[in-house]
Amino acid sequence: MRFKRNPQTTERELRWYRRAALVLGALCWLASSASAQAQTEKLADEVRKLLSERCIECHGAETRESGLRLDTGRGIRQGGDFGPVVQPHDAQRSELIRRVATDNENELMPPGGPRLSNQEVAVLESWIQAGATWPESWDSEEEERDPRLEHWAWQALTASEIPPPVDWDASANIEPERNPIDHFVRAKLADQKLAPAPLADRRTLIRRLYFDLHGLPPTPEEISAFEKNSDPQAYENLVERLLASPRYGERWARHWLDVVHYGDTHGYDKDQPRPNAWPYRDYVIRAFNEDKPYVRFIEEQVAGDVLYPETRDGYEALGLIAAGPWDLIGHLEVPETKTDGKIARHLDRDDMVANVIGTFNSVTIHCASCHQHKFDPITQDDYYSLQANFAALERDELEYSTDPDVQRKLGELRQRLQVGQRKREQIEQQLKAAGGESLAEIDRQINATAGGAASAQGGYHSQIESQADLTKWVQIDLGQASELREIVLHPCYDDFNGIGAGFGFPVRYRVEVADDAEFRTGVTMVADHSQTVVANPGITPRTHQFSATARFVRVTATQLVPRSNDYIFALAEIEVLGKHGENLGLGKTVSALDSIEAPPRWTRGNVVDGKSPALASGDRSGLAQRRIELLEQLGLLSLDVELRQTISQLAEAENARRELQPLNKVYAATTQKRGGQSRAIHVLARGNVLAPLHEVGPGALALFDTLPSRFELSPGHAEGDRRVALARWLSDPRNPLTWRSVVNRVWQYHFGQGIVATPNDFGAMGSPPTNPELLDWLAIWFRDRGGSWKELHRMIVNSATYRQASHPREESLAIDADNRFMWRQTPRRLEAEAIRDSVLAVSGTLDLTMGGPGWQDFVVQRPEHSPHYEYQLANPEDRALWRRSVYRFIVRSQTQPLLTVLDCADPSMRVDRRNQSISALQALALLNNSFMLVQAREFADRVRREAGDELSAQVRRAYELALGRLPDDTERAALVELAEGHGLENVCRLLFNLNEFVWID
Amino acid sequence: MKPDPRNGSVFHAFGKAQGQRATGNRLTRREWLVRSGGGLGGMALAAILADEGRADGTPHPAFIYTPKVKRVVQLFMAGAASHIDLFDYKPMLVKCHGQPSDFGEPVEAFQDGLGPWLKPIWEFRPYGNCGKPLSDVVAPLGDVVDRMAFIHNMVSSSGVHSTATLLQTTGFVLPGFPGAGCWVSYGLGSINNNLPTFVVLPDHRGYASNGVKNWDAGFLPSQYSGTVIQPLHDQPLADLHPHKIGAYANPLADKKVRETLAILNRKHRESRVGDQPLEARIESYELAARMQLAAPEAMTLADEPEHVLKLYGVQAGRTHWPNEINAEEEAHLFGLRCLTARRLLERGVRFVQVWSGNDNGFPRRNWDSHEDVERDHGPLARGMAVGAAGLIKDLEQRGMLEDTLVLWTTEFGRMPSSQGGKGRDHNPFVFTNWLCGGGIKGGVSYGESDDWGYKPLDRDRPTLVHDVHATVLKLLGIDHTRLTWRHNGIDRRLTDVHGHPIDAILSL
Repeated sequence: MRFKRNPQTTERELRWYRRAALVLGALCWLASSASAQAQTEKLADEVRKLLSERCIECHGAETRESGLRLDTGRGIRQGGDFGPVVQPHDAQRSELIRRVATDNENELMPPGGPRLSNQEVAVLESWIQAGATWPESWDSEEEERDPRLEHWAWQALTASEIPPPVDWDASANIEPERNPIDHFVRAKLADQKLAPAPLADRRTLIRRLYFDLHGLPPTPEEISAFEKNSDPQAYENLVERLLASPRYGERWARHWLDVVHYGDTHGYDKDQPRPNAWPYRDYVIRAFNEDKPYVRFIEEQVAGDVLYPETRDGYEALGLIAAGPWDLIGHLEVPETKTDGKIARHLDRDDMVANVIGTFNSVTIHCASCHQHKFDPITQDDYYSLQANFAALERDELEYSTDPDVQRKLGELRQRLQVGQRKREQIEQQLKAAGGESLAEIDRQINATAGGAASAQGGYHSQIESQADLTKWVQIDLGQASELREIVLHPCYDDFNGIGAGFGFPVRYRVEVADDAEFRTGVTMVADHSQTVVANPGITPRTHQFSATARFVRVTATQLVPRSNDYIFALAEIEVLGKHGENLGLGKTVSALDSIEAPPRWTRGNVVDGKSPALASGDRSGLAQRRIELLEQLGLLSLDVELRQTISQLAEAENARRELQPLNKVYAATTQKRGGQSRAIHVLARGNVLAPLHEVGPGALALFDTLPSRFELSPGHAEGDRRVALARWLSDPRNPLTWRSVVNRVWQYHFGQGIVATPNDFGAMGSPPTNPELLDWLAIWFRDRGGSWKELHRMIVNSATYRQASHPREESLAIDADNRFMWRQTPRRLEAEAIRDSVLAVSGTLDLTMGGPGWQDFVVQRPEHSPHYEYQLANPEDRALWRRSVYRFIVRSQTQPLLTVLDCADPSMRVDRRNQSISALQALALLNNSFMLVQAREFADRVRREAGDELSAQVRRAYELALGRLPDDTERAALVELAEGHGLENVCRLLFNLNEFVWID
Repeated sequence: MKPDPRNGSVFHAFGKAQGQRATGNRLTRREWLVRSGGGLGGMALAAILADEGRADGTPHPAFIYTPKVKRVVQLFMAGAASHIDLFDYKPMLVKCHGQPSDFGEPVEAFQDGLGPWLKPIWEFRPYGNCGKPLSDVVAPLGDVVDRMAFIHNMVSSSGVHSTATLLQTTGFVLPGFPGAGCWVSYGLGSINNNLPTFVVLPDHRGYASNGVKNWDAGFLPSQYSGTVIQPLHDQPLADLHPHKIGAYANPLADKKVRETLAILNRKHRESRVGDQPLEARIESYELAARMQLAAPEAMTLADEPEHVLKLYGVQAGRTHWPNEINAEEEAHLFGLRCLTARRLLERGVRFVQVWSGNDNGFPRRNWDSHEDVERDHGPLARGMAVGAAGLIKDLEQRGMLEDTLVLWTTEFGRMPSSQGGKGRDHNPFVFTNWLCGGGIKGGVSYGESDDWGYKPLDRDRPTLVHDVHATVLKLLGIDHTRLTWRHNGIDRRLTDVHGHPIDAILSL
């Protein structure tokens, strides 16, 4: 049954033919003309006239429907919101032609008006075929420059003079300026008729610093020592002490992990774990604690494997690119040749682009995947150029070593592999060029036999297991005892997870025959490969000769072979050859211990259907012989030998690399799967993977006059060169976004809001800076001081602006309720992790063990398919879970209930700023969650140990531990009453729920 | 008045002009409460709650139509329910059953299995005045078919479960976008003062693909997130009562803790007048206390009479079931969720999402019937039909159907060919949705699939999930293009840049 042919097609075709004739005529006329240039211009002029008559009413300078203007060369070249409309020299792929020639009334242009005549369409087509030239002289210069390029964020950093101090009312008790931040902030306050707040008291200051820099409360003893400390440098010394503590890196790494949407599972369907994501998390913690210069921090996370191959950081840092969610099914179960596979990989690169450019440059770029950015001057070409930087990458486990010697060797071997790989490609290209069509044809045939046709064959496929050391068998009943002399096992071919040839062929196995269907008695061992590992045979059949008479043949896998994160056993065909070489197994009954039974491809009976990749591949050796003869004729044999030598050297290096010990693994961006080969990246019309337009090379954004937007790399450049170029572009001192972005993020974490209130979006849809002079001053200062985060923290927390009290003032609230101009310090609710860590610290149960695999406060059920992460089944008294929250194993599909309700970052989103919602569910969680109840009990135990038996003393101790101050009489009385009636545990529980516990002044 | 769309913080005012901030725009306490408690309402809120619309009485600017419904219940079949075996009758398949399939064009199937044409697993018979043919397996829906509107030309942009599920639940194929229920909560606020606005009733055997990403708030404030209720669990609503490990937190202690907490919190606030979050947080504890009373009452079925239980296929008191999947048990389980949904809707929950089917693992307790449609779809579809028909009839007899919308969804359809055996592969090229209830024209079928149920008959004019979402919002009174939230520089909306309300199925 076929579908009916669309009757409209004929008419459309006719119309096309008529037009084609006209176009052809016009082109001939152009070619024959004496002055081609004059004629081109004449044609362009005709187009201009036509466009202005029929199109620019809606697509003119003022109207720009769908972001498209057709009255300037720039407008025509740039296209509209949904991409380019003209593909020079290719009228057929030009949207402009499609839209004036379509039969779909919803799409036809101009809408409602009469259709363009065939002649008119032909003029447009001829003009496009001839290159769609548009004389520059027609456009005025100011029209050529996109006004959106004037947006503040794209301009170079400007160093402003530090404003003079402001005179404040002396009675207001305002602290004098302590550093340039205060000068900038106070100049703006004066403009707004606002005034700074007085210096906060010492208890507030030490609590603020502790929560801010460590995410943990100070002990009552630390508070009291600080309150009593008369050293004029007491505050500065405290800052130094806090910055030097490893708790600082743990606290600030969490902020960074929010932005890069780090998680420990893939997300999407099946949400499988990433057991080795954590080395990236630990890298970030270490980087902050070591105060890694920001340029190096950028370089390592974008191209560490290329720039710093001898260091562990160069590898662990690549976790950034892979930090986001990953569609396992779209990658492993759907090959790149299918539409869904293409979409999955496109979206995957989109996530990489967004994560890198969004994190370091605070621009949103996603919209440019489907159309030119509406609000910012970012084109589809820019977007896909960014994708091209990641075109060779996959998310996977990357091997490296924390042992510096091993890592050095590994780096050398990788280098050798890269060089060898490049040599191999060069020779292959030479061969291809010299070998011409005849060599290409033989290679095509050889390739076709290896994969293509072969992959169509299925076979037997066992159930999928989560471990390798299981035994599985498949057996054939020949119907009667027969004389046998050979058993041939044919491996499968399946592109699943890029495995291809040898898919499912067991690592260890044995072949037996018997007359007993159960194989209990009279078993003859035909072949025993259960003691040694069998290499992947590709699609080449493995032959086992013997001599016996038997009815049943059984192949037993004693070690299964890995598939993705699981293990299987599969065979395409079992040939059971009788004494005359006839296949006795054909069509006989097959049984197996288990089988996935997914016909037609995978079903037991397929092992006796006479089909296998090897059988389908025909005479490969004959082809190989013909290839050699041809190479000899062409004088290419020595080059071919060199190629084989190179390949074998590559294999040697690969083996040496494999033997290196000890190796660690990090879930990161890796080029291993594609051997460093970048995919070709095309601009996609409307983001549709089935509508590729022109190819683009690596590049970045065309936003700055000072930085080139496309990377000039040599034609044979390695994949890594692209990422190096991107890292250099991002960390360039002339990239204003990089430096503004980072200081703004740091500022936000100290003050609750950024100088730009939208830290992930500095574009036209984001907020403008409240204090642009300060932003640029800080950005320049940070950049020129070596990009030290700790220096930046010092500068900020030592400012008088930071040290202000946070109390609300009626008159200031009336002017600036949001405190955008910093007339006080903004009081804030602690983030989810800080609340949890503080509860542990106050209860005396916090385990400060650093690093390593994340703690898991859930039980995993059904890990083999879609793991269920069951939080309610975890033991709330398990002390191994009482580590800092940054070390939590972060599941994407089933988020941690307590932290989620407290607004922890969603690992599917790049979170630049936490929500601070307040809800009844939060109240219920803090009151009733098992974690809270167990900790309140632990807290009570601690208080009893430290304060003795007297209830009032217990209440005092509990209070000062939780809030860093002693209760007044009312507070103590209320809590003693509660303790008398319902026990100290309920007092402790209450303290965790107080506004004062979660709210920091 | 709406929350600051640029950062999701509830502390910031939103100026009138896009992207511009109104300075000195200080929140009133009421406005603050609306934002902080928008998903749940608050005591102060309750007093100013209109019967419908935004809690502060000011309609969201997107609220431009006369609403036809106040509530929505979405039934989601996880794993992809077969349109051709349930709702979309294809005589051609009966005629050509067993012949090699030929689609007239290359077809990319998910698992590469394109066996012969496979006729519907069950017979189809006409029902109702409209005479709509339904499969025997969903026969219980025949009683209400005159109230239902079918859309047979739905298409998905993805044939992969996770992304296709996200597309149906959030309008996007990437995780991190708010579920439809979140948008409705954000746009309309609450119509109760002690229960969540958006409730999710997952399959008791586990979550579908993407887990909570199908209903969490994404970039919207977390109070708009779907709240999971598991009627069969020990704690149907997480942390509603103290975990058993804290025996000291008994009801008497609880009461005293809450009273003392309020006293100390008020004292703390005295020196910080003007910082509204502190007051909101105090009220959130009061609301929590009310929810502790209201939620169990909403979730119990003890006061439902036997004939109502029966209507939903619920077998009260039965605890033992066969090991194999079976229709009675599926009806009981799905019916339980439907009945709970009705109780929640009745008590002012805006949006309830009911799931059928868990992740796509084995043994199949989901609709992903690659191996055997009859084995999985049989019990699941019968259970669904019993529960859904019960829900519709019950809503109708209570007068609630006229302002409640029922939406039946799945991620995509299944192929008209077999996979060589008794199963069908994914078909993202065409599938079926149906709607029922307020504002819906009954007994109509909109959009057609082709003779095979392989693609839309008119391939240029398929129906997208965005059209369905736009329709749902329109029935709620909302223009889908105006219900937006700025996130990372883009004014995001449920319908992305697509969507047209399907007026042909509306009785407007």
